[in-house]
Amino acid sequence: MAAADRPTETRGRFEAIYAEHVTPIHRFIYARVGNRPDAEDLTGQVFMRAVEQLDVHRPPAQVTAWLYRVAQNAVADYWRAFYRLPRIGLEQVAVAWEPMALEPPPHAEVEAQKAAAAVRRLLKTLPEQYARVLELRFLHRLSVAETAERLGISHGNAKVLQYRALRRAAVLAELDG
Amino acid sequence: MADERSGELARYVDALLEGRRPAPGDVGSDEAPAARLASELAAAGDPSRADPDPAFVEQLRRRMQDADQGLADVGSALPPTRRVRLTRRDLLRVGLGAAAGLAAGAAGISLLRPANRVPLVDPGRALVRDGEWVQVATLADLPERAAVRFRTVAFDGYVVNDRGVIRALSSVCTHMGCTLEYRPEWWDLRCPCHGASFNLMGELANGRDGWSEGSGYAGDSAAYPIQLPPLVRPEVKVDGDRVLVWTVSA
Repeated sequence: MAAADRPTETRGRFEAIYAEHVTPIHRFIYARVGNRPDAEDLTGQVFMRAVEQLDVHRPPAQVTAWLYRVAQNAVADYWRAFYRLPRIGLEQVAVAWEPMALEPPPHAEVEAQKAAAAVRRLLKTLPEQYARVLELRFLHRLSVAETAERLGISHGNAKVLQYRALRRAAVLAELDG
Repeated sequence: MADERSGELARYVDALLEGRRPAPGDVGSDEAPAARLASELAAAGDPSRADPDPAFVEQLRRRMQDADQGLADVGSALPPTRRVRLTRRDLLRVGLGAAAGLAAGAAGISLLRPANRVPLVDPGRALVRDGEWVQVATLADLPERAAVRFRTVAFDGYVVNDRGVIRALSSVCTHMGCTLEYRPEWWDLRCPCHGASFNLMGELANGRDGWSEGSGYAGDSAAYPIQLPPLVRPEVKVDGDRVLVWTVSA
């Protein structure tokens, strides 16, 4: 290819990579931070970093793996910085081309199904009242007041129940994960 | 004890379920695993927000183009680590013609503007009949993409340099009156209270009626389900180096 065509071609490839990946990367991050403002910030970080560092002439599988790796690191940093959680596992791996991703990048639909299944499993494992409060709050999106009414308990008790349920669930998720 | 902590975590969860950004200060680090689990549950419970807002996608595209605009790859055959990076200022120093050729050839840069051109003014309109011109900034304070917040007797606002156009806007959100924050990287005025995002024309960019291409905002239209009136734009002028706004006399 003529040298002069190269940059335009690079720009075009980058556009295509962005168009293909912005939705799955946003989904990937949203599933881990649970709110759009933070998901947008982190998605922005991933692609702004890609502008600087991504070599778009790599094979597509490597480009995809690179983006997910950066997204995973961004999420890990988010939790670490905000809550001083230790980083674990794959998240410790620096972003580099080599070695290649150890596992195929998660497919968005598969991810969503896995997440839904994990939630169902979690709710089944929890004591009934705990499962109920989480279901009403997170799946039915009821307020604390509505949840309290539904369960026939006080507002304060509903908060405490939610608190205990989340703490217990976090322990179970840890064991599960 | 449990009451207090359960209240803190409840605030955090409320933010998540209302689609707002949760405040990490709402929970102690002991509660972090529970907060993280709550975040994952919130996401699993509302997959409708998993897909990005189209306006966000468009805005991020623009941000990336902006970032790319000042960079030129010299010799793209080199591996990424050996690329030479030129800022737009470097290009201007080299000489605009040569730089433009170099840049266009090297990175497809589409826009090269002189750094110090005289800004245009978007005059807005007089809000009061009996008023006076009050200086709120100097041109030196307002390079492209800068904003200066000002306060006069009766009016709180920003003057901004929106891609070479000086404009004045109210800094008060038309929803509940919170003070908007200017975010240069997003070209918007963002409300810290409920997340309304106004573009630099003063229009709500993430309202129910959606977004328009080039409106320039970061936001979540699904999380901002109502429409709001635009921000008031008072009359503004540039006199020499002074930027003045027409407002009620003290």
